[in-house]
Amino acid sequence: MRAIHMRLSSSFRPILLFDLVSSCSPPRQFSIPRRLISAAANGGGRSGSIVAAPLLTEEDFHKIDVNPPKGTRDFPPEDMRLRNWLFNHFKEVSRLYGFEEVDYPVLETEALFIRKAGEEIRDQLYCFEDRGNRRVALRPELTPSLARLVIQKGKSVSLPLKWFAVGQCWRYERMTRGRRREHYQWNMDIIGVPQVTAEAELISSIVTFFKRIGITASDVGFKVSSRKVLQELLKKYGVPEDLFGRVCIIIDKIEKIPIDEIKNELGFTGMSEDAIEQLLQVLSVKSLDDLEDILGGSGEAIADLKQLFSLAEKFGYSEWIQFDASVVRGLAYYTGIVFEGFDRKGKLRAICGGGRYDRLLSTYGGDDIPACGFGFGDAVIVELLKEKDLLPKLGQEVENIVCALDKDLQGAAATVATALRDKGQTVDLVLESKPLKWVFKRAARVNARRLVLVGKAEWEDGSVSVKVLSSGEQFQVKLSDLE
Amino acid sequence: MRAIHIVTTRLSSSFIRPVLLDFVSCSPLRQFSTPRRFICAASKVNGGSRSGSIVAPLVVNEEFQNIDVNPPKGTRDFPPEDMRLRNWLFNHFKEVSRLFGYEEVDFPVLETEALFIRKAGEEIRDQLYCFEDRGNRRVALRPELTPSLARLVIQKGKSVSLPLKWFAVGQCWRYERMTRGRRREHYQWNMDIIGMPEVTAEAELISSIVTFFKRIGITASDVGFKVSSRKVLQEFFKKYGVPEDLFGRVCIIIDKIEKIPIDEIKKELGFTGISDDAIEQLLQVFSVKSLDDLEDILGGAGEAIADLKQLFSLAEKFGYSEWIQFDASVVRGLAYYTGIVFEGFDREGKLRAICGGGRYDRLLSTYGGDDIPACGFGFGDAVIVEVS
Repeated sequence: MRAIHMRLSSSFRPILLFDLVSSCSPPRQFSIPRRLISAAANGGGRSGSIVAAPLLTEEDFHKIDVNPPKGTRDFPPEDMRLRNWLFNHFKEVSRLYGFEEVDYPVLETEALFIRKAGEEIRDQLYCFEDRGNRRVALRPELTPSLARLVIQKGKSVSLPLKWFAVGQCWRYERMTRGRRREHYQWNMDIIGVPQVTAEAELISSIVTFFKRIGITASDVGFKVSSRKVLQELLKKYGVPEDLFGRVCIIIDKIEKIPIDEIKNELGFTGMSEDAIEQLLQVLSVKSLDDLEDILGGSGEAIADLKQLFSLAEKFGYSEWIQFDASVVRGLAYYTGIVFEGFDRKGKLRAICGGGRYDRLLSTYGGDDIPACGFGFGDAVIVELLKEKDLLPKLGQEVENIVCALDKDLQGAAATVATALRDKGQTVDLVLESKPLKWVFKRAARVNARRLVLVGKAEWEDGSVSVKVLSSGEQFQVKLSDLE
Repeated sequence: MRAIHIVTTRLSSSFIRPVLLDFVSCSPLRQFSTPRRFICAASKVNGGSRSGSIVAPLVVNEEFQNIDVNPPKGTRDFPPEDMRLRNWLFNHFKEVSRLFGYEEVDFPVLETEALFIRKAGEEIRDQLYCFEDRGNRRVALRPELTPSLARLVIQKGKSVSLPLKWFAVGQCWRYERMTRGRRREHYQWNMDIIGMPEVTAEAELISSIVTFFKRIGITASDVGFKVSSRKVLQEFFKKYGVPEDLFGRVCIIIDKIEKIPIDEIKKELGFTGISDDAIEQLLQVFSVKSLDDLEDILGGAGEAIADLKQLFSLAEKFGYSEWIQFDASVVRGLAYYTGIVFEGFDREGKLRAICGGGRYDRLLSTYGGDDIPACGFGFGDAVIVEVS
């Protein structure tokens, strides 16, 4: 439903009342309050004092859906506190590891995300045409933007780069399943290190994060494998290398669609039935030793994985990781080690995932630089914390509530508030005359430490009353001494 | 220039190699020669002449394409040095907000277009970054945060205790033709007080911005605030019998006073149906230089003068008298302000407004909610960096 666009110079009053129909959840309807109906009738029967003018024309009154758009979230204070708590942990861990924060536009050209390996991320791309008819998209992930920025920086940056970001990513999915259309994702990436030590450090950082928020190796773990396993296998069976990405995407669906469907899709790539059978067998291998028996000991896949396990021990997180040949991950561009975090109870989706992607930059026209990284979303981790009863209890906290006991002292209260704020104390200033009962209620709600009361007699003396709310003690303090 | 839309091949269809997408945009593309080893890889040589170690191209051939390494027109990347500056700025925004006891909130950057449709002719509406999503719904990247705030307040209904003191730092967008090299996005710090009808609210908001300035080393000799009240215009309307529903529109025209020629202003005012005589009087009111002169014109009984006097009195109590001054020409460019309005300006006169805000007591009803007194400000991340 298009709104008719009005220009100032025309004189027509549009008849359109924009009635937004939202799809799944019913909009909350409100009747238009009476005083507004009379206001819209051009001022005739008004009483003496000036009632504020309706600021907009009649056609501006329209019902809107008070809910955020389908699949998106508002963050009222309590939700924002949880989000900030989570993001602060993301950022502090990243800094602990010496990574630098970066960011990119949430909107990128669509071309950045067009990969033809059949990834789900591509099907669900939130793309559209902008007002200039350019194809753009709300980013589904952060890695392509990172790659773009790395190429842009060229020789002006020294490798290796250790960058992190926390950004919102989007997808467009039909809402029958009630799924989200946006989430925030923490990414850490190392650009310019070809060795497995990079992947090992990345996993270490996620372990550090988990430990910080009270999650242990008995709650979660990492399944690790390597895309090189598939490479070696496909090479052995003479499967063309340009099918690599596509085969990985199909394999990634192994636990999500029936095995016959998998075999079918693999068949479409031109793989022989024999090759398919072998492939599926390799993917069900349970140990690195068994894998070595199948592939032989000379390939990079086994060597990389052995090195990773050795480093895991040195980093101190051996009990967190395990080999799992079925892990390939769903992005086409991984070329080496891949890993995903999972909850041991098996109830939740993957918590995070990552791997090496040594060939991404060239797909954008740059020179290849070895790279690896991970993405960690904000949804599953919260579900996990709820499960484990580890969600922090975060309330608002203000140090002082400042209140005037007398209407005439409102200005004095402002002076007191300013004095405290200048000293770095947080202050919730009561801005109009309120009964003390109300003030105490508010103090409880904001978890105030102190109540500072400005009363006539004390103020004449240059003092205020300070009540410590936990103990109930009350003191009279000179403003100049207050801290 | 339209990019050729790639035909999406579905997994089950046989391989049709799509025509290579060559993205053309306004800024010159940084072109890279395709590295040699990829010419090999792209020519489908199956492993024949390759050396020992396995290097697989990870994606199919058609995907090698030139992309623009620059971010989209009018947007910014934040490499580490820029991100440090941004974090420094945002941390100050947030710490000041917390110092004043405000709680942080956030809303989706994407909202339904309807939330921003106001017909007062605001520039913000002309430049709305709107589009149709894949489900043919009209949506927009938000140009400001206040409508989302209003929506959330209505949604919360009686479940929240007033007054609410909320702040946010969020990205806002506009779609403007890029001939002028202007930004299409910026971050904006907002602080709002919902449920407080007294001028103390506006006074506290300005105090918070002063606190922010002082924290980053900016003084009253660098910047100041011009304040006025939309009630001046309301009282004027009543006096001259101008219909109240023209209010928003007239404010938007007046806001352009220093941006377009005065004759243009008079003309646009004329289109609203206001008489030439009323226009002359109106323009005189807006050039008044002191609160006393204003009182002479409007008389002392109205709320406009009372509110402003109270604000100046509170400014003294808050300790920032030297930061604010009355300026009748300040109306601000948003249709929904109803009372005190203010804007931060740099005293050297070189920059655009640093921040702006005011009271908006009638916004919630335009969305179907009950009106609740409200005031707030927006403070962008662009001009302040130029000041400091």
